[in-house]
Amino acid sequence: MNIAEIAARNVLRNKTRTLLTMFGVAIAIVAFILLRTVLDAWMVAAEHAAKDRIATRHKVTFVMQLPKRYVEEIRNTPGIKDVTWMNWFGAKDPKNEREFFATIAVDPKSFLQVYDEIVIPPDQIESWLTNRRGAVVGDVLAKQRGWKVGDRITLRGTIYPGDWDFQISGIYSAKRKSMDRNTFWFHWDYLNESAPLRARDTVGWIAARIDDPARAASLSQAIDKKFEERDTQTLTMSERAMNVSFLGMLSAILRALDIISVVILVIMTLILGNTIAMGVRERTHEYGTLRAIGFLPRHLVAFVLVEGMTIGILGGGLGLLIAYPFVNHGLGRWLEENMGGFFPYFRIENTTAVAAMGLAIAFSLIAAALPAYRAANLKVTDALRRVG
Amino acid sequence: MRSLAVRRTTTLATAFGIALVVFVLASSLMLGAGIKKTMGSSGRPEHGFVLRKGSDAELASSIENRLVSLVLAAPGVARDSAGAPIGVGEVVLVIAAEKEGTEGQVSNVQVRGTTEAAFALRPEVHIVAGRRAQPGTDEVMIGSRIRGRFKGVDLDRSFELKKNRPVKVVGVFESGGSSFESEIWADIDTVRTSFGREGVVSSVTARLDRATNFEGFESTVETDKQLGLDAERENVYYDKQSEDTMKFVMGMGIVISVLFSVGAMIGAMITMYAAVSQRRREVGTLRALGFSRFAILTSFLIEAFLLALLGGAVGAAFASAMAFVRFSMMNFATWSEVVFSFTPTPKILIMSVLAGGIMGVLGGFFPALNAARTSPIEAMRG
Repeated sequence: MNIAEIAARNVLRNKTRTLLTMFGVAIAIVAFILLRTVLDAWMVAAEHAAKDRIATRHKVTFVMQLPKRYVEEIRNTPGIKDVTWMNWFGAKDPKNEREFFATIAVDPKSFLQVYDEIVIPPDQIESWLTNRRGAVVGDVLAKQRGWKVGDRITLRGTIYPGDWDFQISGIYSAKRKSMDRNTFWFHWDYLNESAPLRARDTVGWIAARIDDPARAASLSQAIDKKFEERDTQTLTMSERAMNVSFLGMLSAILRALDIISVVILVIMTLILGNTIAMGVRERTHEYGTLRAIGFLPRHLVAFVLVEGMTIGILGGGLGLLIAYPFVNHGLGRWLEENMGGFFPYFRIENTTAVAAMGLAIAFSLIAAALPAYRAANLKVTDALRRVG
Repeated sequence: MRSLAVRRTTTLATAFGIALVVFVLASSLMLGAGIKKTMGSSGRPEHGFVLRKGSDAELASSIENRLVSLVLAAPGVARDSAGAPIGVGEVVLVIAAEKEGTEGQVSNVQVRGTTEAAFALRPEVHIVAGRRAQPGTDEVMIGSRIRGRFKGVDLDRSFELKKNRPVKVVGVFESGGSSFESEIWADIDTVRTSFGREGVVSSVTARLDRATNFEGFESTVETDKQLGLDAERENVYYDKQSEDTMKFVMGMGIVISVLFSVGAMIGAMITMYAAVSQRRREVGTLRALGFSRFAILTSFLIEAFLLALLGGAVGAAFASAMAFVRFSMMNFATWSEVVFSFTPTPKILIMSVLAGGIMGVLGGFFPALNAARTSPIEAMRG
């Protein structure tokens, strides 16, 4: 029987306690993974944003529009490949007013060029391009609403008043994780010709593909400079910078989640340390005996550390086993379908799982360190004298 | 009780675990209460709030200027001593402002173009530094909660609403913790000309004689379909505005608290199992002396309850300290930042401490049962 085996057997000594501790570690790992996944899900928008895309909006407020002619001027800027423009439409389904989804007017042809991560079957693209009232919707949104290709629907405008009729021409999915699959895209021309006069020929924002992603910042500046002396100034940013600034508005909550995920690990360490300390205390007498028959302090340290690590690994593994189905299939699915605007992609990242496991082991070693130290520093005589 | 003191480290660790759980639970409930307070105190039931029909937020709404006086002339609108109706039509926008202390990071702030009438309508608004802005000028007032959070948004400094159109901050106001404190208040015409909103307002707010007069006001405003207006009680509007943000914070808080509490219960269970097994002999003796199983069970449960209550009290105490922390968060309804505070209420604190106690009892139940089942003979022999 080698030392590792003895340590492993010690784990089984008080089965209820070990089981409970394992369960405690598992719960902590589930909570940790859940929080990190929430954080990752938000970061996805920033990390997976296209590097070769920039967007131009009104400098001061997104409530105001840009003149349509800016589109041409941006197209003529050197370094720009494709340009498209959009308007936030902001409509609701009168049948279900409470559930939000984005409705955006786009120029279909250039839109699909600039946003090439959008996947639509070719025949559906064909029918969208020819149907002025046609719209394409995200697969997640379509499933949630029960919309099928060919359906006629009416939306009620909140910014552009009135009822607007549409026909679903296609359903899209996305190749890029940061693309929201809950959006309703339709013809900008349809909106423009029916919009009130003062809102006509204006666009909400202009998106462009650029030749060289490395030049995103300098190109953005060049565009803003171009419009600096005009009536309407612009603010141009790379898609990533825009998503990051959006995250900045949520920074307080992100920080809170970050802190809580660490607090969870501290709680886990407490539970684990507690168990191990109890085990060591109960076995004081035995450790004394072991020392008396010639085991060195470092052997005792090894016993305790291995015991702690075993529980940490088992608990962490159990946690992962629970977390995967829970997050990826239960909660994640639900969030993607119901809050897709905020969480377009809610899955456990592999790095998160590895980090969780690593931390479980690291913290179990930390938890075992103090009891191990105590066991090693026992005086043989004290230990043997003491009554269990 | 004394048995708790015997194994000090273990007890402390368990109590600390429960304290953390109670802390998180109480904090998230407090933040929820803070959001409710901030948004709730912005709206009053005796205020009628009018938007264009179909708009669900001030940002999306625009009402022709001439309709403002029509709305204010509706029956039920309160009048001041001079006989003028109390109410105001305002333009609301969101601007991108650069955060103080960051390199070019922008965030959205709500700007309200308003008039002197806003002060009569909302008497809770008062200047805490500087003075009121002169009507018809490029002077603005800022809410106390955003003071210093954005570049130029501080007393005696200035920032641009539009290129070459700087506005100067002359006053800082408070409004009893409502969301107005996260806004910039400018002259209505300054805002209109800066943002091409000539001749329109976003919303009209009117004070009613009595809160019960709302139905009359509503039917008058909405009857004429040509006007295309929609009236609501102001508090109802603000409640809706905060609903999503609140659901999000509370949902998050509750999921985390539940996971935490399972962990803490396990911690309590481990501690109590140890307590029970160490005192097996003692328990056996008590049983032999004639204490009933029930008495043993209760005594262990009380021990667990006290332990958890202690932890809970510590957690709640720390959570109360969060009252001094300001929490800036995006309001999902307006896309702009609103600063909330953690608001401790006695109910929340008592509830969280009790929740901690219950965790202790639940965690202690099986170990206590185990103790109660002890056979006196075996226990005294072993």
